[in-house]
Amino acid sequence: MMTAKIQLIIGACLIVALIMIVNMIKRRSLELKYALSWLVAIFFVLVLDCFPVLLVKISSLLGIWAPVNMIFFLGFCFSLMIIFILTVTLSRMSERVRKLSQAVALNEEKIDQLMKEKEA
Amino acid sequence: MKSLVIIPAYNEEKSIENTVRDIMQNAPEFDYVIINDCSKDNTLAVCKEKGLHVLNLPVNLGIGGAVQTGYRYALQNGYDYAIQFDGDGQHDAKFLHEMRDYMIQNHTDMLIGSRYITKEGFQSSSLRRFGIRYFSVLIKLLTGARITDPTSGMRMVNRDIIKLYANVYPKDYPEPESVVAILRMGKKVEEYPVIMRERTEGVSSISPLKSIYYMVKVTLAILVERIR
Repeated sequence: MMTAKIQLIIGACLIVALIMIVNMIKRRSLELKYALSWLVAIFFVLVLDCFPVLLVKISSLLGIWAPVNMIFFLGFCFSLMIIFILTVTLSRMSERVRKLSQAVALNEEKIDQLMKEKEA
Repeated sequence: MKSLVIIPAYNEEKSIENTVRDIMQNAPEFDYVIINDCSKDNTLAVCKEKGLHVLNLPVNLGIGGAVQTGYRYALQNGYDYAIQFDGDGQHDAKFLHEMRDYMIQNHTDMLIGSRYITKEGFQSSSLRRFGIRYFSVLIKLLTGARITDPTSGMRMVNRDIIKLYANVYPKDYPEPESVVAILRMGKKVEEYPVIMRERTEGVSSISPLKSIYYMVKVTLAILVERIR
């Protein structure tokens, strides 16, 4: 079983993380779109932390002895998923940066040529 | 018949002017464009000062992204042939005519300038030659085509391939991968014997430390290209 102490510690960490994320969204330094997965993850772990009974049930269903391991396991899965989504997003972003920079270079050259024609 | 020489340049301040002069002297009816891939040295300043024709990338895209900019330029400006040409003095512009004539006569889609047909001139280190042989064998196994110099940066393509490459081009270490891509589409890829020089300035983009990553990445890229 989880002790009340670890329950409190995990709960406190989650609340702090939640406040930080909400603050960052407020200051627009984190896009809601990308924060959403974090918020969902925190919400789930928080529910499990508050109601360890649920945890015991799910753990025994999955054949995990200590429910606290279940929290770590779930958190780990969520993190992996988020990191993977980020890698996909990054690939798309780098493709966009590439297209944009190429367009900038091509347009700049066109401007140069036009200026030269104008001067001549 | 409009033909373009695409010169990707990253930190080539010392050799870029000579490269362009070589083209203007030995292949005067070829247009050229330098792609400055956000060089850290004075490449851009040298180009502007000497009045060289340059496309300036605002961020460093790597060789693939730089060369692709050249293909986009070629597509936008209606070029019939485009050739990649290193800015470090390795390639010799006197082959440009012969290569284009060969392509027109033989209806070739891509003509690769190969060091390993007549085996003259700079042949690269033995370790590197081994790597090139390995890619040759891999391409032969996967596509059946015999390419003796798959990493050669001196490659001429027709309008068909310009369109393809303007649209999709690999990002880093693009040469072998992009050859396999068009071989798989049934395009006609041939080689032409050329003589290359040892680079006069600068260092290869592939340092010894990166070569393992290079081998693994390019192998995977070629395999992925095979199942595409």
